[in-house]
Amino acid sequence: MSSLKELQDLIHEKFGIDPATLDPHASMREKGLDSLALVEFIFAVEDRFGITISDEESNVDTLAELAARVDKVRAAQVK
Amino acid sequence: MNTAVVVTGLGVIAPHGDDAPLMFEALMRAESAVKPIFPDLAKPAAAALVSFDETRWFTKLQLAGVDRVSQLAVAAADLAMRDAGVAGDVDPERLGVFAGCGMGGAAALEAAYRGGARVPPLTIPAFMPNAPASHVAMRQRAQGPVLTYSMACASSAVAIAEAAKAVQRGEVDVAIAGGSEALIVPGVVLAWQAMQTLASFAPDAAATAVRPFATDRSGFALGEGAAFVVLESEARARQRGARMYAQLSGWGLSTDATHLTKPDAPGQARALKAALQRADLAPSDVGYCNAHGTATRVGDVVERDALASVWGAKIDDLRVSSTKALHGHLLGGAGALEAVITVLALHHRQLPPSAHCNMIDPACSLNLVLEPNAAAPQLEAAISNSFAFGGSNSVLLFKRV
Repeated sequence: MSSLKELQDLIHEKFGIDPATLDPHASMREKGLDSLALVEFIFAVEDRFGITISDEESNVDTLAELAARVDKVRAAQVK
Repeated sequence: MNTAVVVTGLGVIAPHGDDAPLMFEALMRAESAVKPIFPDLAKPAAAALVSFDETRWFTKLQLAGVDRVSQLAVAAADLAMRDAGVAGDVDPERLGVFAGCGMGGAAALEAAYRGGARVPPLTIPAFMPNAPASHVAMRQRAQGPVLTYSMACASSAVAIAEAAKAVQRGEVDVAIAGGSEALIVPGVVLAWQAMQTLASFAPDAAATAVRPFATDRSGFALGEGAAFVVLESEARARQRGARMYAQLSGWGLSTDATHLTKPDAPGQARALKAALQRADLAPSDVGYCNAHGTATRVGDVVERDALASVWGAKIDDLRVSSTKALHGHLLGGAGALEAVITVLALHHRQLPPSAHCNMIDPACSLNLVLEPNAAAPQLEAAISNSFAFGGSNSVLLFKRV
């Protein structure tokens, strides 16, 4: 199961970015999320899902990439 | 001959609202914005808060890492620029920002310490004291000097004086000058309570807790907010047909260099004299003084002594009020808010009252504006005093255009 939908909801909730206007494969930086805002978002993702995304894993540019990382961490937790 | 500097725009996000003329009317009616806050604190606290809808000025994404102190500044500066009608009519490299701020982003620091969760990664840029000026610059595309002044309660008055100098010297064509403060968070309120300068008040009497120059005064209430003015040369303003609220014809900056927190009448008098001298006016030419008037036991007497030493036998011709009784003490934002009030008093030839003073302390003997709706049909010039911890004194002198 992909976390993409939940991430889209969260980014809408936190930063007011409508999922319809954010292509999951487009650079989030181009949407105005600079590196520090992205860190804030990843903190929010971690808090929401109760997971930890390592620093190396958090180096992402698109929402789809982030969803893939979140999926991986959540899958590992389930095992 | 010196270039005349005029005020062509006013913007406030104040405890009495975000419309400067309506705010002035509320002050004329002596409406107090001071209310009880933080009922959980051990000692009762009161403050004048701003009702602010940040979504009018920012998207959620833009709010990341922007403390309330910067949000208020961006909004007030934007209102001032709109009021001046100058946007798009100035070369960005010739537009400067001169902003006062005493503390910086108090809420961001408090959240980092007490938030319980993780420290937001944008805490540092949120709380740094020069953030408000830089956010104003980004919003208004000001690419000239963007400077922050931090002298506690004189911060934004000094910023306005420094902006006037830059306009006069031709370093900028237009200056956005003022300041902001937003530190009403529990940790900071506790620190101010420990300082023993806040007014005590009976339950249900917070609104009248601040009583400048009165026998029963006991200190000030904290306030939050932002105020900015737009300054430009009179020649430029006339050329573009701008409304001119007043001329900023004098300013005086001095330092006590005696004690960090104890005010000093000779130091304040030096700032008053310097402002008069720069404006080339005699004390009797000035009809109104918006006093620093924090309602502390010591401060009000010292300010009275400073005024009396400069005005001499004419001291009773000077009408005086401290509007802090109504809007609280905005600290780094106080000088700018009170400058706006002084400009409007001059513009309308009306004097806001010195509220809640049922009996004047004989040691503060001044011709206080005690009556409501005081008109001053002959008023030609007015001053705004700001005297700060650190011994920094600033006096702004405005004249009718």
